[in-house]
Amino acid sequence: MAKLFDAALVFTQIPKLLKYLPTTLYLTLIALIIGLAVGLLIAVVRINKVPVLSQLAVTFVSIMRGTPIIVQLYITYFGIPIALKYFNYYNGTDYDINAIPGIVFAMVALGLNQAAFDSETIRSAIQSVDKGQIEAAKSMGMTGLQVLRRITLPQAITVALLPLGNSIIALIKGTSLAFTCSVVEITAAAKITAGKSYRYFEAYCSIAIIYWVITFLLERIMVFLEKKTSIPDEPKEVEA
Amino acid sequence: MSLIEIKGLKKKFGNNVVLDGVDLNIEKGEVVAIIGPSGTGKSTLLRCLNLLEKPEAGTVKFGDKTYDLTSKNKKEKLALRQHTEMVFQQFNLFKNKDALSNVMEGLVVVKKVPKEEAKKKALEEIEKVGMSDRLYHYPKHLSGGQQQRVAIARALALEPELLLMDEPTSALDPELVNEVLLTIKRVAAEGNTILLVTHEMNFVKSVANRIIFLENGRIVADGTPKEIFENPTNERLKTFLRNINMLESPDNYVI
Repeated sequence: MAKLFDAALVFTQIPKLLKYLPTTLYLTLIALIIGLAVGLLIAVVRINKVPVLSQLAVTFVSIMRGTPIIVQLYITYFGIPIALKYFNYYNGTDYDINAIPGIVFAMVALGLNQAAFDSETIRSAIQSVDKGQIEAAKSMGMTGLQVLRRITLPQAITVALLPLGNSIIALIKGTSLAFTCSVVEITAAAKITAGKSYRYFEAYCSIAIIYWVITFLLERIMVFLEKKTSIPDEPKEVEA
Repeated sequence: MSLIEIKGLKKKFGNNVVLDGVDLNIEKGEVVAIIGPSGTGKSTLLRCLNLLEKPEAGTVKFGDKTYDLTSKNKKEKLALRQHTEMVFQQFNLFKNKDALSNVMEGLVVVKKVPKEEAKKKALEEIEKVGMSDRLYHYPKHLSGGQQQRVAIARALALEPELLLMDEPTSALDPELVNEVLLTIKRVAAEGNTILLVTHEMNFVKSVANRIIFLENGRIVADGTPKEIFENPTNERLKTFLRNINMLESPDNYVI
């Protein structure tokens, strides 16, 4: 009987799969940046109850949180080309959808999904900063932007760090769905490799290890950042 | 001409008229205490002067510059806020900054003073409130009284023409009240112009040179501590003083 489970292969094929790790990390990083930037924007719009934009933001967050990420990826991947065709038709332009690599669709979809979740985390973190400090900053003559940058955000970041860590971890694993936009990252690479060797179980074990190691490293980074942004328990004494 | 002239200040919360046309002139170096029953708009009066509340009507004049308190102009709003600084009941120090950074913040960010110079000025002010040994303590490391002293240093570092103090000792443990009152007394003695809301009547008697009694959004009595406490003419003021035991036994304790 041939080997049922090739334990050695689980480890020997890891270097081969790691070649696709940069794609996973690149996808994560860009989606993370989109998520934080758009998330912060949505949070600020909602906190300040900006008319029209605020209602749009609520609808956006509700839809993004209420539909599966894989559906969002499909809608982005198939929807944008249709929209572009309409655009070309009505404007007489000739933009080519094939010029846009698949990874861009995945970045947009994952980023916007991330933004919906991050906006709620950021919103609650900003609102946890007590109003008195904001009043003190305003009464000094600080502009709204200065108050946000110097007083509110630094404190909100400390509060938001843990839930944002959660959402980054979810994002890294979410990138495994990017194959729907024909992106070859580590999960897709594992499928392709296994397609040739028929060693599917081994391939999935290999990437499970890779994902877990990355997440473990990320957890360490979050712990470090948490320590760094929190106020020390003991005050530093003035040297005589 | 007075240093500060407040005219026709009106503020409503819903249908509740809190300030009903307040006119008030303050001279340079005056320490004006506002007293009165709760809900009469004492704190609101202070908060309208730096636009933490938006009044329905009113102007304020600092020197020869007049500000419309209802103006929507952002630049004017920021300019007005630089004439005054506020000391809050809940101290409101920036929790993410140590004592020194709290005092430097306004100098660096609002007044654009170079860091070295700002630090020098901040150290001076912190020294004056007796907190030099706790420069790197964060608010959470400080007692309420210490936090309020840092908050006073933070306000004074910006050299306001008018210092607003909104019940600066009301949130403190009784033990800690004195250290803050002594600090305020020194600040007053240095010639700072102060508008103060407080319930510490004996303190008011010893430190204020003018007292205003506010009732139903109007100034109904305005005079020296002697005139207010020893010879009140207004009936409502008399009742108020009787209620807080300041009429029969005016010297029950002294700070």
